[in-house]
Amino acid sequence: MWIFNSIFGKIFEIIFIPFRSLSPWVGMTLISLLTGLLMLLIFRYTSNQEGIRKVKNKIKAHLLELRLFKDSLALSLKAQGNIFRSNIKYIGYSGKPLLVMIVPLILILIQLNFWFAYQSLQPGEITILKVKVQEGQNILDLELKIEPPRSLAIETLPLRIEEQQEINWRLRAKEGGLHSLVFRINGQSFVKKVSVAQKPLSRISPLRVRRNFIDELFNPGEAPISKDIPVKSIEVKYPNKNMNLFGWHIHWIIVYFALSIIFGFALKGVLKVEI
Amino acid sequence: MGKTLLKKQKQLSLVFFFFCLALPLQAYIGPGAGFAFLSSFLVLFLTFLLAIFSFLSWPFRFLFRLIRGQRAYQKSKINKLVIVGLDGLEPILVEKFMSAGKLPHFSELKKDGTYKHLQTTTPAISPVAWSSFMTGTHPSKHNIFDFLSRDPNNYLPDLSSARIGKPKRILSLGKYNIPLSKPEIRGLRKSLPFWKILGDKGIFSTILRVPITFPPEKFSGHLLSGMCAPDLKGSQGTFTFYTSDEENVKKREEGITIPVTIAENKIETYISGPENSLLKKEEELRLPLTITLDKEKEEVCLEVSNQNFSMKKNTFSDWIRLTFRPGLGMKIKAICKFYVSQISPHFEMYLSPLNIDPEKPALPISHPFIYSVYLGKLLGSFITLGEANDTWALNEEILSEKAFLEFTYANHQEWENMFFNALEKTKKGVVTCVFETTDSIQHMFWRYLDEKHPALKSPQASMSSKVIEELYQEMDELVGRILDKLDKKSVLVVMSDHGFKSFRRGINLNSWLYVNGYLSLKEGKTESDEWFKDVDWGKTKAYALGLGGIYINQAGREAQGIVQPGEETKSLKAELAAKLNGLKDDENGATAINHIFDREELPPGPYQENCPDFLVGYNDGYRVSWDSVTGKVNNIVFVDNPKAWSGDHCIDPRIVPGVFFCTQKIKTDKPSIMDIAPTALELFGIQVPKHMDGHPLIDVQNLFSDQKGKEK
Repeated sequence: MWIFNSIFGKIFEIIFIPFRSLSPWVGMTLISLLTGLLMLLIFRYTSNQEGIRKVKNKIKAHLLELRLFKDSLALSLKAQGNIFRSNIKYIGYSGKPLLVMIVPLILILIQLNFWFAYQSLQPGEITILKVKVQEGQNILDLELKIEPPRSLAIETLPLRIEEQQEINWRLRAKEGGLHSLVFRINGQSFVKKVSVAQKPLSRISPLRVRRNFIDELFNPGEAPISKDIPVKSIEVKYPNKNMNLFGWHIHWIIVYFALSIIFGFALKGVLKVEI
Repeated sequence: MGKTLLKKQKQLSLVFFFFCLALPLQAYIGPGAGFAFLSSFLVLFLTFLLAIFSFLSWPFRFLFRLIRGQRAYQKSKINKLVIVGLDGLEPILVEKFMSAGKLPHFSELKKDGTYKHLQTTTPAISPVAWSSFMTGTHPSKHNIFDFLSRDPNNYLPDLSSARIGKPKRILSLGKYNIPLSKPEIRGLRKSLPFWKILGDKGIFSTILRVPITFPPEKFSGHLLSGMCAPDLKGSQGTFTFYTSDEENVKKREEGITIPVTIAENKIETYISGPENSLLKKEEELRLPLTITLDKEKEEVCLEVSNQNFSMKKNTFSDWIRLTFRPGLGMKIKAICKFYVSQISPHFEMYLSPLNIDPEKPALPISHPFIYSVYLGKLLGSFITLGEANDTWALNEEILSEKAFLEFTYANHQEWENMFFNALEKTKKGVVTCVFETTDSIQHMFWRYLDEKHPALKSPQASMSSKVIEELYQEMDELVGRILDKLDKKSVLVVMSDHGFKSFRRGINLNSWLYVNGYLSLKEGKTESDEWFKDVDWGKTKAYALGLGGIYINQAGREAQGIVQPGEETKSLKAELAAKLNGLKDDENGATAINHIFDREELPPGPYQENCPDFLVGYNDGYRVSWDSVTGKVNNIVFVDNPKAWSGDHCIDPRIVPGVFFCTQKIKTDKPSIMDIAPTALELFGIQVPKHMDGHPLIDVQNLFSDQKGKEK
């Protein structure tokens, strides 16, 4: 899984390279355009284009019927019934492309989440560092040491929460960069990356997880923690990032949803796709 | 086995897992699904809004109608009047086939209701007759006397039914003339159609393809224009013929021929579109067309207007949508069909006239404007050209008889679909549809009913009289299906505007006028090309134009008129009538002209002055010759008609009555086409206007009295 995640992550890194110093809107616009194109192509080759065209024409015809036979209540009701029926058929035609699209879309969304959902820490900013320990481990006796680089500081002693199998520290960012926090446990060590004062469009991985298909799928930012280490995950709590539109803060997924659909509709004529 | 099952279960759970994950994943449905859901949602939302609006506004609209006193159907004697026009259905053939038991539904109508000959108009030409049908008046009141009228200023023909002019206000910008107002589209038919009068009283009508309904007029109902609606070139139907055979590139009377060259099984050519009126110096709009030939498979691949499609030889394409771009981001849409008749040794292909796209009409072809859009979306693309069936393509031997029939019946099917849709949607009111299928097929296949017809010698003539027999049977089946759809309080009228006779010999009236000294040619000329090119108007007393009209070259009326109005005109007309009445064919001694109808003897009206001075009533077997129609002059008066267009009706109206069938008994033995409009009005309890010349046919007091016990 990690190999796949690395390759897939690299593709996104390459796509975003020219835009990293620019506003996240630029990168978002580009990726929405590319996604719109990809989805249009998938839609074109996996859907019944002729069927969609016909059923859409039927819907339009029945909508016109409402206008043409506005004085006949019976015909208006019948037209409305036909619109609902045709609509269900239309949604049915979208089922197959939807199923085909859902896999690449989930993978894309997971990647985008690391680019657009979090912002890196600023020098001087304090956050929480959480380590979740495997079930069955005695968290109170566990010897877990952290070796922070000079650019990061651990400000507290570990807070061990037995009920949640969790150990927390307070972490302070001191200098900008992508830093490595080294953890040592039972003679083994592993690393967690911490982003401080990165470019506006940066990939931020808040969670490093233990080797497990589903956890790795949703947290592809860093290589999984070896199964020999009794740690489930390490998390750095980054502040959330939103897209700023004239002072209005919008969740990135809404922007992505809107832009990719706008691009899809705008390009459907060029690509001759009936949607 | 267990492992495989476990593996499959894992795979299934993985799919299920992905599917489930998609939902909680911040509820995102993705662009693809988003397209569908967004569109569906918008449609549902719009439907919901419209539904609410419809429910809430219905009582107000109902009240509004009440307040206006339009309790439309209160005085109505019927629920629905259905009028089916079968253009040119000939009574003699109907009677023959009914006697032979081949038309059971027509026979049923005759037995339970009415069958009569229907008196047509003078002249017996479809645009004239259907105009009288809808207005209930003589031609002098509706102003339609032929397909063509003449411009007395230049002796050139004009379309009699409509005028399409340029926009009045134009902005000149560089090479463009940008229109700032709509182009002038003016109907020339006068008087009120009965559906307009019904609509004013709140009676709803659906009028489909009745001739002379272009441009569509506003009224309370739906209308799709019929005969005389133009193609995208503004003509009455211009087909294109592509050929690689140099010998076949000849001047044709109709259509455009485009020679093509085959290079490595590929042809690069074009589609000839309308004139680009946006340009100051008008030029034809063209679309590149690439044709790739597969001689082995007898198949071609066409590439045009960003579309690729394959066609087998001897098959019609579906309707293909074309987009012409005159500039400034404007688009003009057309639909057309292709037919490849030969791939090897020569390539030959027919392209139908460029029809106005009903879903994106470049000109208004329906009322309301969205009605054609609605029909197109609901039933698929359909032919919109007025004279839909391409008789000239068969005349010019571009289409075979089989191909012509295929195209014609495909058009007919489209009209049936829209007719039955209207029938289903109209619970109360009028549904009228004119099917020109009967007219077109009889024009082109009448030769098989006439053993002496010269056109039978054509190598193309390979069919038999069965074509017409089958046509009548098809129409009978149509009538049967309509009867099945009617309720107890509906009336059905099946009618034709005129009958049919053989067109064996043509008379060039202009040549007759020339030979007899009434028309003169310029010095040194012994013949004139079309549109009177070499006619010396300063010495010409009379000329003929169109399908049956003779005009006196009258001083003060015609630009170069020499015959004084009053006595001189009267005396000339008397002289001409004396010579032309009973005119014999030089070759066989048969009477070619039964009667010359002087317009002064015809029923008067405000537009009488637009009528030709004489309307010629040809005998059975005769008609005006092809050359005479277009103003050609020579020494030959009588000619054989070798064309497939072998039957006609532009003759003495007394010998080409139409048919009249009705589910009700009628009051007269001699119904006229002008009686239909007043009949429709009276059936809905509306007083017949005094200007109408026709009379109601059905005794509304005894309506449905004969139907007791016959109900299905």
